[in-house]
Amino acid sequence: MSNLTIALAKGRLLNPSIKLFESFGYDLRAARDSRKLVIGSQGAQFVLAKPMDVPIYVEYGAADVGIVGQDALRERGANLYEPLVLGYGACRLVVAGKREPGDAEWKTLAGLRVATKYPRVTKQYFSARGLSAEIIEVYGSVELAPMVGLADLIVDVVDTGHTLRENGLVELDEIFKSQAALIVNRAAHTLRVSEIRSLIEKINGLQINADKLG
Amino acid sequence: MGWGGMIAQSLDKQLPHGVADLFFNDAARKRAVERALADTFARWGYSEIIPPMFEYYESLAAEAGPQLREEIYRFFDRDGRTLALRADFTIPTARIVGTKLFDRAMPLRFFYIGSVFRYKEPQAGVRREFTQAGIELIGANTADADAEAIALAMTALSATGLNDFLFTLSNAAFLQATLCDLALSDADDTALRDAIRRKNATALAQRLAALNLDTTRTRALAQLPTLWGNADVLDRAICINDDARAAVERLRDVVARLAQFGLADFVTLDLAENRGMAYYTGILFEGFVRGLGFAVASGGRYDHLIAHFGHDLPAVGFAIGVERVMMLQRTRASIAPDVIAQICDARVFDARAGGQAVEVDVSNRDDAALREYARVRGAREIWWRDGRIESVIASEAKQSPNRKLETPALACGASVALSAKNASSQ
Repeated sequence: MSNLTIALAKGRLLNPSIKLFESFGYDLRAARDSRKLVIGSQGAQFVLAKPMDVPIYVEYGAADVGIVGQDALRERGANLYEPLVLGYGACRLVVAGKREPGDAEWKTLAGLRVATKYPRVTKQYFSARGLSAEIIEVYGSVELAPMVGLADLIVDVVDTGHTLRENGLVELDEIFKSQAALIVNRAAHTLRVSEIRSLIEKINGLQINADKLG
Repeated sequence: MGWGGMIAQSLDKQLPHGVADLFFNDAARKRAVERALADTFARWGYSEIIPPMFEYYESLAAEAGPQLREEIYRFFDRDGRTLALRADFTIPTARIVGTKLFDRAMPLRFFYIGSVFRYKEPQAGVRREFTQAGIELIGANTADADAEAIALAMTALSATGLNDFLFTLSNAAFLQATLCDLALSDADDTALRDAIRRKNATALAQRLAALNLDTTRTRALAQLPTLWGNADVLDRAICINDDARAAVERLRDVVARLAQFGLADFVTLDLAENRGMAYYTGILFEGFVRGLGFAVASGGRYDHLIAHFGHDLPAVGFAIGVERVMMLQRTRASIAPDVIAQICDARVFDARAGGQAVEVDVSNRDDAALREYARVRGAREIWWRDGRIESVIASEAKQSPNRKLETPALACGASVALSAKNASSQ
């Protein structure tokens, strides 16, 4: 798996991803300690990118493989292979709002306004239900939007649901579950068969061992 | 929401999203690629087919599949009929053969080069108007025909100067056979195919657990994301019926022929691949070149498309993305004349007849201005009025505007050289 360019999503997936590759013998201390964006180790090149950018880096072949949350993957809709899920970074993409739990009325409302960092998935979700939601794309603190009257609902990832509760929001529906996934560029999959196969086998071996150890 | 839009600007000097102007070096390079491809196709016995740029939407949408159909540019003629710009060459060619050429000696070998139009976001050289060059080999459903199409795609890429490629070879019939008679709901079918297409073994396993199919079928489907790589995947593949076995045998035959042509090293296999056009029924292939994350060539067998137009004829073909070839090329076309002549005399006509590019000054420049112009144009010589011939010293300034075209985006791994001679001598 030498000479591969590997894109790692920054943020909450970065530490477990670094640990994964350190367990294969790569030196990724620079990824923890510095602001470097490109780190070479033993012939491989690691690129640190925003989660939403990782699918694009890999789809265009700027990186051969990447590790990213399935939430970003679904939002970007990139044409890729995703041969492995990695068992960390679990979260859920949900619809939430200030409504009472069990209130289904929002599913019939016309003129809903929805704030989200996931406009594509949100649009798919609402239009699949025949709802013409107005989607407001925001870049951070999505929970704020219903509190200040910017939106009726939000679509966002939740981990424990703590942030939702703290801001007086309740979960109304789950859109999908997400976790970290290995993604592979389609050209690299053909051009670098042995490197990609070796990486997949290494991660698989690790997961089998982890399962055995409980 | 307020004044969100920009102030409307006059469009008369702008271009719509997804089209481009080509001139100078870019136009010359494009034509050079097209010529290299056309010459190669012709040497393999293919003659050109030129379908119209637009025709009835009903023809072009035939068998196009939902994705391509959405991307077709449509408009109305004055009688209210729906017309469309061609979105590929295969469907128009199928129409022509199915309606006019079905009773000719088979097989028919056609090549094409031209613009196609698709309403989607531009990606890696594929704009909304982009150029396809390819072939259709019609009237033969044999491994020889499949192998010829693949070998020709490789030889054609090689003729454009790209040698560092690998092709993924697959067979749509294998997945078809493995999924046959399942009677899944549309949603289950879509989800299953999506998991297979993305090689998402986890999602596939979850789907299969929920579907509760028989053990052999479940194993055959669950195995799909691992069936890629060397020819050993053909031995590992679980075949649940004769059609699946036949699909694997066809791949084996095609690989054997490519090996005879000396091209075995340029192929990897992938039995899970189900991308590509909705009309594909057999062999599928995509060509990738180091330095680009997208396929440069793609093609496949489509045995029932022509039947839509009246006569059932098997066929195989491929298209090469000309703009993608241009992105990867290291070569540069020249638009510089060989000679700049001060006056248009007999010498000039003779030189042109002899194959030199001779440009005549029509602006009455003085000597200094003509020297400067010759230098900027990159000419080798100036032919003065009095018969003197002067060499032009190349300057740095002339080179620099083209420099970015010389270096491809990425350069990694070992280079392999295609033995095109072996391929064409078979």
